[in-house]
Amino acid sequence: MYFSKALFKQSMKANWVKWVCVTVATCVMLAIVIIVLGSLAINDIRDSLKDVFTQADQESYLKENSVDSYEAYNLSIKFVDGLESEGLEGYMGLAWGMITSSYQQKINEYTTANGQAPTGEALVSIKEETVDELVATIKSLGDYLPAEFQEMSDEELGQFIYIILMAYDDNPDLSATSPDFIETAKASIKGNFAEYAGITAYNLYISQGETEEVAKGYQAQATTLATTAIGRYDELAGADDFVYDEDEFKGYANEYVINMIYNQAYNQYITSEEPTDEEVAAAEQYAVAAKVIANTAISTYELWIDELTGSEMTDAEIQAYAREQASASITDQIPEKVAEALEELGNMDIYGLIIGSIFYRIAGLLLPMVFVIMVANGLLAGQVDSGSMAYVLSTPTKRRTVACTQMAYLMISLLAMFLLVTVTSVISIWIVGGNNFAINFAEICLFNLGAFLTMFAFAGYCFMCSAIFNRSKYSMSIGGGLSIFMLVCTILGLFGSNVVPSAMRIDAMNVFNYFSIISLFDTVSILNGSIAFAWKFAILAGIAIVTFIIGVFRFEKKDLPL
Amino acid sequence: MEEVIKVEHLTKDYGGGRGIFDLNFFVAKGETFGFVGTNGSGKTTTIRNIMGFIKPKSGKVTVLGMDAWKDACKIKENVAYIPGEIAFPDLTTGIEFFKAQAELLGLKSMERADELIKRLQLDPSANLKRMSKGMKQKTAIVAALMADKDILILDEPTTGLDPLMRETFLELILEEKKRGKTILMSSQMFDELETTCDRVALIYNGRIIDIADVNAIKNSTTKAYKIEFTNKEDYQKFKKLKYNIIRDQEKYFQVTVQIDDSEINKLFKSLSKYNLKFVSEVKNNLEKHFTNILEKEIKGGKNVF
Repeated sequence: MYFSKALFKQSMKANWVKWVCVTVATCVMLAIVIIVLGSLAINDIRDSLKDVFTQADQESYLKENSVDSYEAYNLSIKFVDGLESEGLEGYMGLAWGMITSSYQQKINEYTTANGQAPTGEALVSIKEETVDELVATIKSLGDYLPAEFQEMSDEELGQFIYIILMAYDDNPDLSATSPDFIETAKASIKGNFAEYAGITAYNLYISQGETEEVAKGYQAQATTLATTAIGRYDELAGADDFVYDEDEFKGYANEYVINMIYNQAYNQYITSEEPTDEEVAAAEQYAVAAKVIANTAISTYELWIDELTGSEMTDAEIQAYAREQASASITDQIPEKVAEALEELGNMDIYGLIIGSIFYRIAGLLLPMVFVIMVANGLLAGQVDSGSMAYVLSTPTKRRTVACTQMAYLMISLLAMFLLVTVTSVISIWIVGGNNFAINFAEICLFNLGAFLTMFAFAGYCFMCSAIFNRSKYSMSIGGGLSIFMLVCTILGLFGSNVVPSAMRIDAMNVFNYFSIISLFDTVSILNGSIAFAWKFAILAGIAIVTFIIGVFRFEKKDLPL
Repeated sequence: MEEVIKVEHLTKDYGGGRGIFDLNFFVAKGETFGFVGTNGSGKTTTIRNIMGFIKPKSGKVTVLGMDAWKDACKIKENVAYIPGEIAFPDLTTGIEFFKAQAELLGLKSMERADELIKRLQLDPSANLKRMSKGMKQKTAIVAALMADKDILILDEPTTGLDPLMRETFLELILEEKKRGKTILMSSQMFDELETTCDRVALIYNGRIIDIADVNAIKNSTTKAYKIEFTNKEDYQKFKKLKYNIIRDQEKYFQVTVQIDDSEINKLFKSLSKYNLKFVSEVKNNLEKHFTNILEKEIKGGKNVF
C-alpha cells in the first residue's frame, strides 16, 4: 500500500481551514440559491407569457375551424347544386351504369378469389382502385362529356365516383331502368356525401396526428355540417321560384358556423351536469366571444377571397392564403422575431438556468476550484519549492507513497466536500417542495455528481502540474491558470449557449465553450432526461484518472531540489 | 575499513559550467567527513545525490552498499538529514512538527528529542512560522538527531546559530562521533570543520581540489615563524643564511621562514646575532592549507574558468 497515515494527517492539518471555509461557503450559497428561488414566484412571468401563447394557439385553432367549416358548408352546397343541374341529371343513368358495373366486376373477382364477399378495408381498396381507373377513363372521353364533368378536377371527379360507389353499396339493385331511379340515386348520393365528408375529416385529423377521439369529433362535426347544408339546400330548392344564389348560401353558411362555434364553446365551458346561473352566464359570455371570433375569421376570409380573386394566384392558393390570414392570432401580429423571442422566454426553464448552468457550472465551481488550485499546489510543488518536502523524504517514505497519499488527500477532501454539498442541495430541495420543485432529487444529485467529476478532472490536472514542476509559481500559473481560464471561458460561453434566451444570446460566444472542459458537464442533458451527459461524465473521470496517474509517476522520477 | 558512503565519478551537469563533475570520495564508518567550498561550488548538489533526491547524470553513489537513487527509501532507515534551506511543513508548533516527524520515522519514544531540546534550549511550543533563523535551525537539528540514525548528513548545519549555540552544537556532533556515527557535513567555516572532522574535502567549481587530513595538519612538525628586524642590514644578513623563506616583505624588513621542529634551536642561535622587533609563530591550519592550494590552483589556471 502506497499510503502514509502520518503524511495524510499532516496534509489534513495543513489544509482543513481552507476545506471548511470553501465547503461552508459553497453549501450556504447553494442553499440560498435554491431556497430563495423556490420561495419566489419566479415562474409567474414565464407562465403568463406561456398563457398568451397557449391562448393565441387556441384562438388560431378556433379561427381555422370556423373557416374550414364555412368552406365545407359552401362545398356541400355546391355539390348538391351540381347534382341538381340538368346536365348531370341527363347523364346520371349512364354514369351510374358505367361506374357500378366496373365496381361490381371487381367485387365478383374478389369473391371468386377469396370465397367470400369483400368487406371493410378490402371494399375500400376496391373502391379506390375503381376510382383510379374510372377517373382516367372518364377524362379520356373529353368533349363527349357534359360540361359539368369537364369542369371537375380529377380530385373532384374521384370524390364524385367514390360517393356513387358508396350509394351503390346502399342500393345494389338500383339501375337506370328502375322506377324513380333519379330520385333514389340523388337521395342516396346526398346521404353518402355527408358520410364521405365525415370520413375525409376523420382521415385528415388522424394524418395530422390527432387522437382517435378528436378525429371522431371532427368526423361527426363534418357529417352534421354536410347533412345540414344539403338539407338547407333541399328545403329552399323545393320552392317553385328557387334560383340558386351563391351569396345567399354563404350567408347561411356563416350563420350556421358561428352558431356551431357558439354551442361548442358553451358546452366546452359547462362541465358540470347542473350548472349554476353564474356558470351559465359566464359560459354564454365565453361562447359569445368565440362566436365573435368565428364571425371575424369568416369575414376576413371572405374579404381576402374577394380581394385576391382575379389575381395571378390559383383558386387553391387563394383559399390557402385567405385561410392563413383569417386564422392569424394576436401573436401573429407581432413581428416574427419578437414573437419567437417571447415564446422562447415563455418556455425558458429559469430554475434549470440558474441552478444548473449558473450555480453548478460556474458560481458553485469557483470556490472548490480555488481550493483545488491552492491545495494541489501545496501538496507537492509548494513543499518542494519551500524545501519542507525534505523532512518527509528524509524518512523511510517512498516517493510514490508521498504522491499517492497526497493524491488520496486531494480526492477524499474533494469527495467529502461534494458529499456535504449534495446533502445541502437535497435538503434545500426538500424544503422548497421536493419532487414538486422544478428540479427533482434525481436531477440535483446528477448535478452534484457532475460538479464533482468536473472538479475531479481539474484536481487531477492541478495535481499533475504540482507533480511536474518544482516551483510553485509554475505549478500555480500553469495548473491554476488554465483552470481559471476554463472557468472564465464557461462564463463567456454561457452567453452563446442555448440555455440563454435568444434575445440575450450572442451565438459567436459559443466558441468559448470549446475551450473549457466544464462543457462536458452537460446540465441541459440532465434536465432533458437524455443520456448524453453520461459519456461526458465518463470523459471527465478519464481526464482525472489519467492526469493523477501521470502526476504520481512523474513525481517518482524527477529530480528534487531539496 | 567499511566505506559507508561511496561516491564514484559522480557527475551532474546543469550546463553553463554549473554542477558537479567526476567527484570521487568515500566516508568510512565512524568517520566525520567535511565538505568546504564557496557558494555554488556544488556541496548541496553532492549531498542531494547522496540523499537520492536527484539522479546522477553519470557515476554512482552508494550508501551502505545500496544505490542512492534506486534504494533511496531503504537507505533513509539509517540516514538523518539537515537540509541547507530550512522550511518546515505547514504545521503550527514545533511539538506538532516533532510528533509528525516521529510518526513518519516510526519512532515511538520522544526521549532523545526531549534531551536534545533541553540541550539546545529550544522552546518547542513556539509557532513554527514565527521562529527566528536560529530557532528554526535548532528545530531542524532536533528533528534530524532524534531518531538516532547511524549516518548523519548535515548541509551547513550551523548557519543562523549564535556563537554559543554553535559551540553546543559542535559538542553535540563530537558526542555523536564518539558514539560511532558516520557524519558528512558541509560548511563554509574552516574552524568548525577543523574541530569536528577527520577529513575535509575542498570543492571548487564542482570539482574536488583536495581532501585534507585534518589530524595531519594539526600535528604537523613543520612550522612557520614570522620575523621582523629593526634595520635593513640585519634583515639582509639573515636572508643570506639559507633558511626556507616562504614569505618576504622587504618594506617592513619581514620574513616568514618554515622549519622543522628539530631546527628550532639552530634558528634561535642565528637570530640572537640580530636586532629583532618580534618573532611570532604562524599557525598552519586548514584554512591556510586550503588557501595555499586554492591560490596555486587559480595561478596554475587549472580548472579555473
